[in-house]
Amino acid sequence: MLLALVLGVMIALAAGQILLRNAFDIGWLWSAPLLRVLVLWVGMLGALAATRKDEHIAIDALSRLLPRAGRCVVHAFTRVFAAGVSLLIAYHAARLVLEERAGGSIAFSSVPTWLCESILPFAFGLIGVRYLLTAARSLHDLVAAEPAERA
Amino acid sequence: MIAILVVLVVLALFGAPLYAIIASCALLGFWSAGVDLSVVPIEVYRLADNPVLVAIPLFTFAGYLLGESGAPKRLVRLAQALLGWLRGGIALVGLASSALFTAFTGASGVTIVALGPLLYTALREARYSEKFTLGLVTTSGCLGLLFAPALPLILYAVVAQQLGLDEPVRVQDLFLAGALPGLLMLVLLGAYSIWQDRAHGSASVPFSWSEVRDAVRDASWELPLPFVVLGGIYSGYFAASEAAAATALYVLVVLVGIRREIPLQRLPAVMRESMVMVGTILIILGVALSSTNYMVDAGVPYQLFEAIRRWIDGPLTFLVVLNLFLLALGMVLDIFSAIVLVVPIIVPVAISYGIHPVHLGIVFLANMQIGYIMPPMGMDLCIASRRFQRPVLELARATLPFIALLLVSVLIITYWPDLSLVLLKRSGA
Repeated sequence: MLLALVLGVMIALAAGQILLRNAFDIGWLWSAPLLRVLVLWVGMLGALAATRKDEHIAIDALSRLLPRAGRCVVHAFTRVFAAGVSLLIAYHAARLVLEERAGGSIAFSSVPTWLCESILPFAFGLIGVRYLLTAARSLHDLVAAEPAERA
Repeated sequence: MIAILVVLVVLALFGAPLYAIIASCALLGFWSAGVDLSVVPIEVYRLADNPVLVAIPLFTFAGYLLGESGAPKRLVRLAQALLGWLRGGIALVGLASSALFTAFTGASGVTIVALGPLLYTALREARYSEKFTLGLVTTSGCLGLLFAPALPLILYAVVAQQLGLDEPVRVQDLFLAGALPGLLMLVLLGAYSIWQDRAHGSASVPFSWSEVRDAVRDASWELPLPFVVLGGIYSGYFAASEAAAATALYVLVVLVGIRREIPLQRLPAVMRESMVMVGTILIILGVALSSTNYMVDAGVPYQLFEAIRRWIDGPLTFLVVLNLFLLALGMVLDIFSAIVLVVPIIVPVAISYGIHPVHLGIVFLANMQIGYIMPPMGMDLCIASRRFQRPVLELARATLPFIALLLVSVLIITYWPDLSLVLLKRSGA
């Protein structure tokens, strides 16, 4: 829902900008930078949604050659890796946001930079957590399936 | 360092998300250089710096909406009315309408899903062989990538701009440069289709003004779109992002408001699906901005140039090696990841060999386009296999003649730079 909302605002803003420029020869000073920040937001929120369905772009040439159990282990391992990387970025992004907040710089109009940046720790953090859950589910599937296979 | 790189490649081949692989390269690089790691999120934040990027979510959304609507059907009908009477006409209909649709929807998987079944039926009814039909429909997904306003052209320009080249690479330049090479591909495939047609005698429909009139009336709402967008972009009236905004709003109003083909309740889901696709591209672009920054700081392109200069002495040899490399790359990597990962490294090297960055872009995309239909894991093969319930191997065999022709056009595009650059020069850029 949030994604649809951000996209809706983007379309309205971008179209409104053209209309104002051509019809009235004026523009909002804040609309262009806001639109650019929204690209970042819609991208990060989209990436977060992609994590839920495990739809991130990946190559995956080898794991299909493995037996089922191996696939589960490899899947869990690669997701833990992705979670680690994402959480590391989220940590440094959070540091960045706090520093920026202390510095008090302004991105455009009266919107502070830290607010625009805040999507980064938020999205990367949640992506990390979600990947940990995916990995746990993968391992759970493995453990749950094993007795059945033995029987 | 080498050991870590090997581990990362293995992780990637076992299906770790690509953005995580690229991000870890950047993190490791900056960490070993003693740079504060908050540089990585700072680079990702640069996604909010580039006005051209606004075009990506807006065009993608418009493409998803068009794909869900009745527009593909109307497009095929119109093309059939205009071209169907020609010898091999139905095949030409397929080529032309897929190229137009792919250009407007950017991500090429959409074309097969939206147009594929329609074209399949039309071609089979016109008595084309099963093999030719499957080959054409699978190939149709990758045609049109070189025409404005396809996303890969925009993305290439965005990535090349980050490199601070002496010669600026503008989105409009790529839009102009792609036109003739894209036409060349269509002409070659069109000639092959007409030649295929000789065997069974064409089952073409007779030309009828009334059908043209009805088809035009049927498509009257969509018809202005290509003219407004392409006219706007090529005349310089619209920037790419503005064209995208106009397209998104127009498509939204027509399909949801006027035609009511997509119910309002369905709209948030389409928005979400399209933005998931955008998110997977932008997150890779974001982390790639930081890994690129590291590699350029570390002088990787320069070292690469120095290393290969010993074996590759001229631009021609370089282009041969480049073609082979890109074809192989296209077999394992999708076009968007390939652009953000590889373009920053090879553009400086290519410029050292005296190759124009815009020409390089067209060569790059033309090669990657073939990657879509190259066995064993071309994306279009997988999509067509799912859509038509055929084994990938059968589709791969059916696309072989098309791959061969596209390879011929890639060679022409590569070794005839003026084909890409002549419009650019004439426009005075």
